[in-house]
Amino acid sequence: MIASNESKGSSLIELVDLTKIYRVGTEIVNALRGVSLTIRENEYVAIMGPSGSGKSTMMNILGCLDVPTSGKYVLRGQDVSTLSQSRLARIRGRQIGFVFQTFELLPRTTALKNVELPLMYAQVSRKKQRAMAALKRVGLEDRATHRPNQLSGGQKQRVAIARALAQTPDIILADEPTGNLDSKTGEEIMAIFDSLHAEGQTIIVVTHEEEIAARCRRVIRLHDGMIASDETISPVSAPAPRERVTTP
Amino acid sequence: MTTATSIPNSPTAAGGERARSTLLHIAAWPWRAINWFGGSVERHWKNITAAFVQVWANKTRSVLTALGIIIAVTSTITVVSFVQGFGNYVTDMLRGFGTNMVFVIPSMPSGVQGRMMGRVVMDIDDVRAVGAQCDKVRRITPLMFSNVTIEYGHEKITDVNLRGTTEQFQTIRSFYADEGRFFGPMDVDSGAYVCALGRDVLKDLEADESIVGDFIYLNEHRFKVLGLLEKKGAAFDESQDRIVLIPHTTGVKMFPFLSRFLPMVLEATSEEDVEEASLQLTKVLRTRHNIQPGQPNDFRILRQDEILRDFQKVQMVATSVLAGIVGISLIVGGVGIMNIMLVSVTERTREIGLRKSIGGRRRDIMAQFLTEAIVLSTLGGVVGILLGYGICAVASLHPSMVEVKVPIWVVAMALGFSAGVGIVFGIIPAFKAAILHPIDALRHE
Repeated sequence: MIASNESKGSSLIELVDLTKIYRVGTEIVNALRGVSLTIRENEYVAIMGPSGSGKSTMMNILGCLDVPTSGKYVLRGQDVSTLSQSRLARIRGRQIGFVFQTFELLPRTTALKNVELPLMYAQVSRKKQRAMAALKRVGLEDRATHRPNQLSGGQKQRVAIARALAQTPDIILADEPTGNLDSKTGEEIMAIFDSLHAEGQTIIVVTHEEEIAARCRRVIRLHDGMIASDETISPVSAPAPRERVTTP
Repeated sequence: MTTATSIPNSPTAAGGERARSTLLHIAAWPWRAINWFGGSVERHWKNITAAFVQVWANKTRSVLTALGIIIAVTSTITVVSFVQGFGNYVTDMLRGFGTNMVFVIPSMPSGVQGRMMGRVVMDIDDVRAVGAQCDKVRRITPLMFSNVTIEYGHEKITDVNLRGTTEQFQTIRSFYADEGRFFGPMDVDSGAYVCALGRDVLKDLEADESIVGDFIYLNEHRFKVLGLLEKKGAAFDESQDRIVLIPHTTGVKMFPFLSRFLPMVLEATSEEDVEEASLQLTKVLRTRHNIQPGQPNDFRILRQDEILRDFQKVQMVATSVLAGIVGISLIVGGVGIMNIMLVSVTERTREIGLRKSIGGRRRDIMAQFLTEAIVLSTLGGVVGILLGYGICAVASLHPSMVEVKVPIWVVAMALGFSAGVGIVFGIIPAFKAAILHPIDALRHE
């Protein structure tokens, strides 16, 4: 796999003049006002910005949870901005892996079953093996039968990452993945992202923490619904931390 | 293309084909709906197991939610089983009388026509004529009805049923003497003062079986006790064993006016011949009583099979009315399920958002919550059925209770209805869950 030279990857996401307008009561909110962006395969992108900058909206649209008011969103050659709810659900299930700040694991359900969930919706075969392989990648194969209340915060987030990985998505979309964790555990989680990136995974992290953003290879800053800056950081700034993944 | 050319040649065959395919189409729709919702058997199975996990995780709430259904099903099962149990008991009893038995009772027709006919008379000659002229009548006997006071030693009991009849009575009603003997034809012909006693009379007189051969007083006439009748049990809450049987000839001597008001009971040659026998006896009696065409009968025919049929009709109506009333409580139970499912959807909004974000479509979410409602209500139904069984089993233990058996169709119906309630009342919460916007659902606090 190409480890760090993302500029050679083909275009995975193309946003063309994307806008999103909400109506909150009588007030009209211009959450996004004309965002154009290209993200290639195996990029490691941080989306930053103060609250109200539109980064959540951006994340929702990138994750096919929402559709833009105008503009185009092309995901791996397919225009997804006009798809039906059912088709969007299918894309969420097969091409996008979400990692949330609050983990969002199903309680009373084992780690393995949580990881199997997207596979069940995608109706693929060999669910258990795939789910097990995903748990292995985050180093939690020995916790497969544990329930979320038997896991630590970091372990929960690793299960969530395994769930996102289970159906081998095109993009992993992480929304403040370390927001509910202490800095040491957050570090561990980011190490997993680093190693996934090293293996060729495209990752988009929405965050407001500079340290997190610093690990990424590209930082997009939003302000008032527009891209304020878009800089590519040199690969040297973050080492490829493969060996860190397995350390608990 | 081949079908296109064949259609004009055989329009009827094509029409039949089309009708059949339409029928198949309609018949297949539940299956297709299930497929459309769940996709695969495995996914339905996942939904079902997940629903069980959910029900188990909230045990108290699940029980309270399903309580309405449980009570509804329990009472349905109990009520229907009791009605059926009593019904079977009465049916068996009526059958015990013999289904080819016919009663004929002198009876004045109602209205002006009845009054114009004057006195109603039926006597022993009518009985003999019917016996002699109707070839579909195998046995016949007069059956005089009255009450007497019995004295034996120092005991005195009043209001005992007296029946004046012949020896044929025991065969027609299958009512035999199991101690001593019944009176015979000679006793009847001579009008002998002899009698056979029912077991309850014996008990009331505080006598034992040694009374056979002894003498008792019926309305101050001295009678010899020839035999004791076997125990028959109660019918319609009236003991059949508090009875004295005497020859009708003797009865007429005691109550002369009853000789002109003499009902009869007869046995047709077979169950199928009951109809024919009734026609024959009607003809004979109308001729003997000089009834003109167009005038009503001055007697009533009570047929065992008609009584049975009428009773079964009443039983069916009673069952369905009671089941219907109790069934309304199923709706109440369904509303309970809907309420809790709505709460559950609100509580699990974030879970719904998560499921949607990892690929769950609206129909998947709908199927999940609908399955949960159905599992909940069906479990309630199962518990209700078990409770109903329990109540019926306990009730049957009581010695004076008829045997209450739970009919299998009630069980099937109860299960079907409770599952149906789950579907009907689960749809709204499931739909509410399905149409949630994933972002709003994920942001829900």
